Amino acid sequence: MIKVDGIGKQYNIAGARAIDLRSDIRSNIKRLVSRKKGTFWALQDISFQVSEGESLGIIGRNGAGKSTLLKILSRITYPTTGRFTIDGRLSSLLEVGTGFHSDLTGRENIYLNGTILGMRRHEVKRKFDEIVAFSGVEQFIDNPVKYYSSGQKVRLAFAVAAHLEPEVLIIDEVLAVGDVEFQRKCLGKMKDVASHGRTVLFVSHNMSAVNNLCDRCILLDMGRIEQIGPTREITRSYLSRNNDELAGSKDLDSLPEKQEQAARFKSIRLVNDAGETMEHAKITEQFHLELTHQVFSTGSKPQPVVLLFNSKGEQILTTYPGVGANIGHSPGIHTTRVTFPPDLLNSDTYYLTLWLVTWLPYKAHQVAENVLAFQILDDVASSTYPPSDRPLGGVIRPRLDWRVLS
Amino acid sequence: MDNSTTGLGHVMRVEVDAKAWRLFPDLRELAAYRDLFITLSYRDIRVRYAQTALGFAWAFFQPLATLLVLSLIFGRAMDVDTQGIPYPLFAVTGISAWSYFSFVLKESGGSIIGSQEIVRKIYFPRLIIPLSKATVGLVDLVVALLVMIAMFFIYGLTPQKGIVLTVLFLLGIMVAAVGVGIWVSALTIKFRDLQHAIPFLIQFGLFITPVAYPARSVTSSIPPWGTVLYYMNPMAGMIEGYRWSILGIGGVHGLAWLSFGMAIIFFVTGLIYFRKVERYLADLV
Repeated sequence: MIKVDGIGKQYNIAGARAIDLRSDIRSNIKRLVSRKKGTFWALQDISFQVSEGESLGIIGRNGAGKSTLLKILSRITYPTTGRFTIDGRLSSLLEVGTGFHSDLTGRENIYLNGTILGMRRHEVKRKFDEIVAFSGVEQFIDNPVKYYSSGQKVRLAFAVAAHLEPEVLIIDEVLAVGDVEFQRKCLGKMKDVASHGRTVLFVSHNMSAVNNLCDRCILLDMGRIEQIGPTREITRSYLSRNNDELAGSKDLDSLPEKQEQAARFKSIRLVNDAGETMEHAKITEQFHLELTHQVFSTGSKPQPVVLLFNSKGEQILTTYPGVGANIGHSPGIHTTRVTFPPDLLNSDTYYLTLWLVTWLPYKAHQVAENVLAFQILDDVASSTYPPSDRPLGGVIRPRLDWRVLS
Repeated sequence: MDNSTTGLGHVMRVEVDAKAWRLFPDLRELAAYRDLFITLSYRDIRVRYAQTALGFAWAFFQPLATLLVLSLIFGRAMDVDTQGIPYPLFAVTGISAWSYFSFVLKESGGSIIGSQEIVRKIYFPRLIIPLSKATVGLVDLVVALLVMIAMFFIYGLTPQKGIVLTVLFLLGIMVAAVGVGIWVSALTIKFRDLQHAIPFLIQFGLFITPVAYPARSVTSSIPPWGTVLYYMNPMAGMIEGYRWSILGIGGVHGLAWLSFGMAIIFFVTGLIYFRKVERYLADLV
């Protein structure tokens, strides 16, 4: 059982990271002189309980405090206020592959990773053969991990994590994105754990996954619990909140900033062929998304990734320029445009999540969830579909070729 | 800040309270994580000698090279008074202790920043990191001791005061090294500059510690307050006593208790300060 009582976490705004002695002294003097504290609360008054065997989803926009909450519950960082207790052995899937050392062999890394994740050495020994079989890298087990492919490394890391047998499992899905295979495995593992009566905490922006896996859900906003209750109610209200934002464009400068961010989004716009901002599009109409991002450091080569979700929270598609695409990597502001052809999406409200990533080596510079919502409208007048009260079912609405053959 | 873990073997119940404050690390919890401590130490030892041409021979090469240089400079060129003991034998006692101390200091400095990938993603008692570095240093210490024993055979001498005293002084040296190491590892999280200062501190420390020369040759020529300062260095009294227990020369200075006291002060305050830093460690690295 998890019992959280009045958890809060306060960070210094500028002084979160004292780079050197000089700036620390300077900030201390500043604090003395101005008496103004440059702090903010990443979390405040967080209280909830999770009973044994229950799955709790945690949703909310970026910067709402989801990751901070997970960090506190997994004891990576300490709360400023409040207290919590967790009964049972805890492990979290945000740590897959943590502590892998490339100079050590696969065998040594299994022991290293296993003990880092909280297993005893004799436990690792007992499950060793199983772990190796699961990973499928038997013949390389005594080679240094640096000679493994990245896929083999992930498989080995996941094999260790999958044999943890936790009583409480914490998953931050955000950290697993970027590798579809791995994400699928995480979700599978989670279902498995949940069905065995274990307790699960699941942070996700995938509403259909939350709906599928979690009994109850917490909606975080600005570091506070906005709503807590049955998952379907909470996810519905979370998605509908964005209906006020059917503006067609959005300034993304106000999104929370990460330290040492190499690139970040500036704005997003839904536009027509003439480049005018639009609030909705018709099914038969072509439209574009215009994304503006700023690059701060040379060599980071970031590019935008667009994730499109429907009103049920199902992910419809993912699109990006392409791993080798030249989209302007120099420091400065760049604008990219992605075109959606006519007759692609069905009528619905759609939600956009943006990622700004460097593919090789993979690094996510920014994840902006639910930044913009727009509607695709049925345009009966210009369509060949018969007018009807009920919309045609289906996620997509392509115009397909029908021929009469006999 | 209370952070207690109970249960046999692995973590079964976690309690965290922002208000409760525990001054010292939770020893029971440290014990519960002993397997991680063993694995991390093993990793560091393996990685240190993996894929180097000379491999483990480096562990012998380092003390021997230092011994050679010191013998040439202090033994031949400066002719330090070692009360009839062959200089290389005199020097090797100092080197074996000092190289352990300097290794722990050097490795602890960057230890937590070097483990930031783990520290940011997972919980374990962070004290394990500097402690495992101190354990890795034991390999070099044992090697240096082997070199020392070999030299006793070469010179046909036998140790003087008995092994019990020597072991006690070695333990004191470890307490001093771990204490300073814990301080340094905690301080470098907030003040990264310290990482650059450590090599300098080690170099400086070699001059103000009786490694290559007997303490007497310094203390006899400085005012009493200077002698007090000299023995504020925890390693000064430790190495002097250690050498006395092996070679029977020099004796333990009346102010050596200052060194022992400092070693214990460093160790205890280091643990307390580390606890304080541990709370926001993951936010800083």
